[in-house]
Amino acid sequence: MFRLELYKIFRRPRTYISFGIILAIALLIQVAMLFDGQTFLGFMLQGVEQFDIQGNVLNGYLITYIILQTLLIHIPLLVALVAGDAIAGEANMGTLRLLLTKPISRPRIILVKFAASVFYSLCLIIWLAIVGLTISLMLFGKGDMINLKSDAFVMILKDDVMWRYTAAFGFAALAMTTVAALSILLSVFADNSIGPIMGTMGIIVVLTIFSTLGLPIFDNIKPYLFTTHMIGWKGFFDDPVPYTAIGRSAGILAGYIVLFIGSAIYFFSKKDIQS
Amino acid sequence: MMRFFSIFFLSILLFTVSNTAHAADSDAAALFYKMRERLNYVKDYVADVRMKIDVSFMRIPTVQGKLYYKAPDKLKLERNGGIAILPKKNINLTLSNLVPAGNTTVIDAGYDIIDNQKVHIIKVVPEQEQNDIVLTKIWIDEAHLLALRTETTTRDNGTIKMDLRFGKYADVALPDKVIFYIDVKEYKLPKGVTMDYDGNESIAGAQPAKGSKARKGKIQIEYLSYIINKGIPDEIFAEKAK
Repeated sequence: MFRLELYKIFRRPRTYISFGIILAIALLIQVAMLFDGQTFLGFMLQGVEQFDIQGNVLNGYLITYIILQTLLIHIPLLVALVAGDAIAGEANMGTLRLLLTKPISRPRIILVKFAASVFYSLCLIIWLAIVGLTISLMLFGKGDMINLKSDAFVMILKDDVMWRYTAAFGFAALAMTTVAALSILLSVFADNSIGPIMGTMGIIVVLTIFSTLGLPIFDNIKPYLFTTHMIGWKGFFDDPVPYTAIGRSAGILAGYIVLFIGSAIYFFSKKDIQS
Repeated sequence: MMRFFSIFFLSILLFTVSNTAHAADSDAAALFYKMRERLNYVKDYVADVRMKIDVSFMRIPTVQGKLYYKAPDKLKLERNGGIAILPKKNINLTLSNLVPAGNTTVIDAGYDIIDNQKVHIIKVVPEQEQNDIVLTKIWIDEAHLLALRTETTTRDNGTIKMDLRFGKYADVALPDKVIFYIDVKEYKLPKGVTMDYDGNESIAGAQPAKGSKARKGKIQIEYLSYIINKGIPDEIFAEKAK
């Protein structure tokens, strides 16, 4: 059944549009940085104007880091495009009842569809790693990586970067799995895929505003929002790496995944399927 | 008669004090010019260095590289493809650039002890008004004619304090280790731009920049070896800052 779900996902042309969009995002950022990266760098380095920073600052590692920022909004949309369609798409096409006539339990259907969505999300992340890291390194070369935080200037030696990217992409996969779980949950309540896709994006955009706006009024709820922890991959580019915080963020995301999928199973098991 | 003797002794006393001060300043000036003359011996060098930048908002590991110097003021750190970070060129990390050039007024400021070593303190004021240096205070080891500490007040770059330790290159007045203490400005970028991950946990050892006042930073350079006066082409220093 898992292979059948993968077949359903990968036979649709729109699945490949997602890969095309990731390629376009990466190339757009890479070309922009190739032609006007110095202006961007000048803006970002204005806080350390007392220092002369020489060498290949605008290198492949820094460009990949900038591309990875899209993980917060753009990539979740692409994940929601497929995961949001998992149940609602079947309902829309009228194949859900047919699917349920098979001797497969409803929780198993949710779990298999979730696993297929996670596989698709992993493919997106791997593709992002290929086009982000590989092409950036080819165009801009290697070098020490600068990570500019709001209150700190972090430099990571070039020999110390790759393991951080491996860990960061691993964490990004966990973050995207959370998005897939949310989309599956919303998909259970809808009869067409637009609702879950828009719902997922709406929730992510609103919660991201809460997470990043920096207003004291949101401080109390920020630690409980999964969007606050979706950028946990950035922690791997700090020095020292805040392992405890990253571990806690990973735990919270895992908790959300269990909550979303558990809820999806619960509601789907009780749902009166009419289409 | 009593009044005559009083005036006579007071005059002698004033003359002696004035002469002693003048002699002390003359000695200090001679000491300064001799020390400055020694610095002029080195026209260029390439040094293997180990460098640590200790500024509250900068988290930079200790790096190794080659430091190129060419008199009077060219300096470049090269790190075999890595990023090199140095204070802007107007805060030059060489002693010869923190000691005023040209005519100066030298004032004797007494003696002090550095690392159980008696040192002569002199204050040097450049006579050229366009000089960026306003005042330099130098702690000099008279026996070896070496500056062990300097404190340079500049017009635009605050005060730069420098501690120097000499070893195997002391005969050419090149240090084995230098520690610079510089004033650094506040660093802040909007959180909306950087989208920081804090994970609700402050990073151990990190001191976030707060407030708007300038704070102190420390740059430590260990010179592992020198190649002196072999000539360095100007092209080495040509790369622009990125």
